[in-house]
Amino acid sequence: MILMYIITGALVLASLIIQGHSSFDVLRIGGVKPDLVFIVIVYFAYSFGSLYGEVTGFIGGILNDAISNSPLGFMAFPKMALGFIIGFFGRSIFKENLFTIFLLIFFASIAKGVITLILAYLFHEGALSSVTSIILPESFYNALLSPPLFFLFDKIFEQELSREGR
Amino acid sequence: MEFFTRHKALILFIVFTLFCFISLSIQSSRVTNVVEGAGNMAIFPFQKLYHAIQTNISLLWSGFSQLRDAQEELEKTRARLQYYESIAEEVEEIKRENQQLRNLLGLKERLPYDSVLATIISKDPDNWFRTIIVNRGSSDGIKVNMPVVAFSGDEKAIVGKIIEVRGSISRILPIISPDLKIGVVFQESRYPGLLSGYSAIGKMCIVDYVDKTATIKAGDIVITSGQGGVFPQGLLVGVAIRSFPSESGAFQRVLVKPYINFDLIENVIIIKKEPDLEILKLTEEETQQ
Repeated sequence: MILMYIITGALVLASLIIQGHSSFDVLRIGGVKPDLVFIVIVYFAYSFGSLYGEVTGFIGGILNDAISNSPLGFMAFPKMALGFIIGFFGRSIFKENLFTIFLLIFFASIAKGVITLILAYLFHEGALSSVTSIILPESFYNALLSPPLFFLFDKIFEQELSREGR
Repeated sequence: MEFFTRHKALILFIVFTLFCFISLSIQSSRVTNVVEGAGNMAIFPFQKLYHAIQTNISLLWSGFSQLRDAQEELEKTRARLQYYESIAEEVEEIKRENQQLRNLLGLKERLPYDSVLATIISKDPDNWFRTIIVNRGSSDGIKVNMPVVAFSGDEKAIVGKIIEVRGSISRILPIISPDLKIGVVFQESRYPGLLSGYSAIGKMCIVDYVDKTATIKAGDIVITSGQGGVFPQGLLVGVAIRSFPSESGAFQRVLVKPYINFDLIENVIIIKKEPDLEILKLTEEETQQ
């Protein structure tokens, strides 16, 4: 179990560092880059339930806020909330295949974007144009990357998943 | 107790939600700064390590792939050096002449500023903010509001300004961010305007409040006006792409492409220029109004 926590922490940290590194800018499409940390969080919520999802989401989000210019809690809340909600349903409802993973990440990313936009209106500066310029393209980009990443994570956590009967 | 054990996930959700909303409500307080600083310090060594690994790999790769070009580059550099040496004397002469003319006109000598070379170690990981983190901080004498420039070819062009300083890292707000406003002028026509980032994700800037009678052509050079108290006068910003009337029709807006390619930039120069506090305060008050 401790090994799983270590691997989870390493995955969140690696995603944040890769995503924040200047070389990752080459992956921008239409000015938007994918949110790897969020894909990792959704995977944990989807595979290991609400508690694991929300804790990973909260820690990942707080670290994201720490290295970003965003106010503390701005990225943490949407990630934590989605980790909690997705964990409720998890693999018991979403039957695992490429299309469901694509849809799961797409709609989860849209929900995350909408919550972020509401927080931006409440605590920072919000613009409705973010829906078309950030939320939709990022959701699509996240959804495209999610099947291979989920496959990779399934391989990494094969033992834990079989132990939990998933 | 059983209730807490059974509803652990829900209770944690409420606790985390409260934490996030309280922290968002008391933005930039001591508590949030400490938490952010701790998070930053926890990630910084890994960012530095990743940057070092990535840089070394790309150096090694470019060493192999560019070995053939090295000789040619060396020849070119030698030729350029000779050219620069030949114009150095000419520049000295112009400087002397310039100084004499300045003395005659009673102009103050422009203050030369110290500068520090910094390497970009990370950028905002999300799509909602556009800041850059560099490996220089308060220990290198960096302060908030210092201007940042970089080389674009042979020209030094503006990158942004320092907005946050910690021990060994600083955060830069780039000119492509809509949150940064800079006083600029069009080099040829001398019409002034206020430059900011065009959108949260774009790479373009927009100059607002340009006189509607001004003739702005594509390719016109935009430079800093030096009026905001932060940036020295005459720094290159970008080139005009096209102009269009503002929504009210009272002014025109000009779309500007920055000289700096923010996707490829790796090193920057921080100019150790202390901001003119009185002008800065006045500008901030005007912006708030």
